[in-house]
Amino acid sequence: MMQTKHAGVGKWTVNIILIILAVIWIFPFLYVIVNAVKSSAEYSTGNFWDLPKSFSISENWQYLTQQVQLGSGFINSILYGALGGGLGIIMAALAAYAIETLKIKHGLLWFFIIYSGTIFPFQVYLIPIFKAYNKVGLYDTRVGMILIYAALIIPFSVFVLRNFLMGVSKEMLESARIDGASDFYIFRKIYMPMARAPLAAVFLFQFTWIWSDLLFGMTLTKSESARPVMAAVSLLGGATIQKVPPILLAAIIVSIPTIILFVLSHRNLEKGFIVTTK
Amino acid sequence: MKRANGWRNYLYIAPAVLFVFCFCILSIIFTLFISFTDWTGLGRFKFVGFSNYVAVFQDKNFLLSCINTLVWVAAGLIIPVVFPLLFAIAITKSSFSTLFKNIFYFPNAVSGVIVGLIMTSLLSMYGLPQLLGMLGFENLDKNWLNIPYVNTGVMIGASVWQGIGMNMLLFIIGLVNMPTEPIEAAKMEGASGIGLYTKIILPLLKPTIIVVVLMSLVNSFKTFDSIWIMTGGGPYRTSETLAVTMYKETFSNNHLGMGSAIAVMLSVIILFISIFYLRKTFTREGSH
Repeated sequence: MMQTKHAGVGKWTVNIILIILAVIWIFPFLYVIVNAVKSSAEYSTGNFWDLPKSFSISENWQYLTQQVQLGSGFINSILYGALGGGLGIIMAALAAYAIETLKIKHGLLWFFIIYSGTIFPFQVYLIPIFKAYNKVGLYDTRVGMILIYAALIIPFSVFVLRNFLMGVSKEMLESARIDGASDFYIFRKIYMPMARAPLAAVFLFQFTWIWSDLLFGMTLTKSESARPVMAAVSLLGGATIQKVPPILLAAIIVSIPTIILFVLSHRNLEKGFIVTTK
Repeated sequence: MKRANGWRNYLYIAPAVLFVFCFCILSIIFTLFISFTDWTGLGRFKFVGFSNYVAVFQDKNFLLSCINTLVWVAAGLIIPVVFPLLFAIAITKSSFSTLFKNIFYFPNAVSGVIVGLIMTSLLSMYGLPQLLGMLGFENLDKNWLNIPYVNTGVMIGASVWQGIGMNMLLFIIGLVNMPTEPIEAAKMEGASGIGLYTKIILPLLKPTIIVVVLMSLVNSFKTFDSIWIMTGGGPYRTSETLAVTMYKETFSNNHLGMGSAIAVMLSVIILFISIFYLRKTFTREGSH
């Protein structure tokens, strides 16, 4: 009797501590939402936790669009996430299939050659790619950005997809072979549908990464026509932040895609992490 | 029939290998080469041996950048490991675990750039400092990001706010998937509370702890986006880390040799940490 009562009190202490921490954790988001709609004058004269008296989204939006090309950055990043992500994952799926199912010679060695791409920090790729892109005319182009993003997501995608293929029974494949199906047919018609869940997880994860990238975006582009959204937003300048409400508005707008992906995928998040940490 | 197909099997792997070779492996070789020169990006290379590497430890600015990096790493070893572990233990005991899990993970859905923008406005002038000033803590009413050395601490706090959820999730997975027999046995023998954790649960959680520690280490070395947005490494280069210094040397000062040397040093350190991580990840490979 005493025992259960004690446990109940402990449980509520834990709950209360967690509620306090949770409030702290979402406080910055509340701050953003409350202040993104204020006028700049109201923000700088009032207290920042006051509810907005004015509703200045259109002025803030106008100021934003004068400062940076948020729209083109948004479209570019969607393009890079979709095409760069898609291209990279197709190449990764083919490679994982060859290593794990076609059992090519020295499969593990090939795997490590590809996987080595995840070990180094991105800083080490920056100068050579910047120089090479300038030489071959890929600097400040959409094609150049799609290619680099596709390349950078291959190693980790191969890792996850190969892990998945390792756990799949090969019986269906064998019977398809006996029926005379070609390897590429098996890849398209049996493996890809079967791997839909891990493919989707990898795509969401890599799309989010490409969407969030600043380093390559600001190094390899200079004009609005190719600049991805984070590089565009970074030009608003954090360190010298002038007009806060428009910048907070920008923060909300460019976070919408990754937040949608988070909401769509949070149930599968844990499953995905079990694969990567096993 | 299998043999006739042999060369064709390599077509599947060729695109991935080609991309990784061109973008990653060639880049590493080129960066290593440049790090031994004084190249400014134009004209000829002149070999300068190890002098770029030596300069990092002699120049006051580089040294400060090294120290800042170590501060990030030290903080990254303790805060993003201990706190998520406590969070995870609390969450597995709470009545609303899914809700709390999502709330603490949520900042991960927002990029480093956006966290930088939000935190810059929240931590400077009209944000949190002003609030604290009004509550009576007048000496806290300053732009924290403009104060040398304080700003590094503040930025570490911001990155903890963003990143803690990921590690917490890994710990929750570890705790939930833990074998129950040893815990039940220990409880039968009277273990409870802290004793149960230090003697039974933490040792069982060791594989997850190792992964989280190594990932946090690597991430601390690489931190770039949020510093770039929040302080740009300033004021007077006091909050630069190696990742920021590398970028500035290369793209602002055109010291490509110097930038490459810093990139190589970062790589060597991260490679060293990764070896432990990889050995853990791939020990299962041997049995195949």
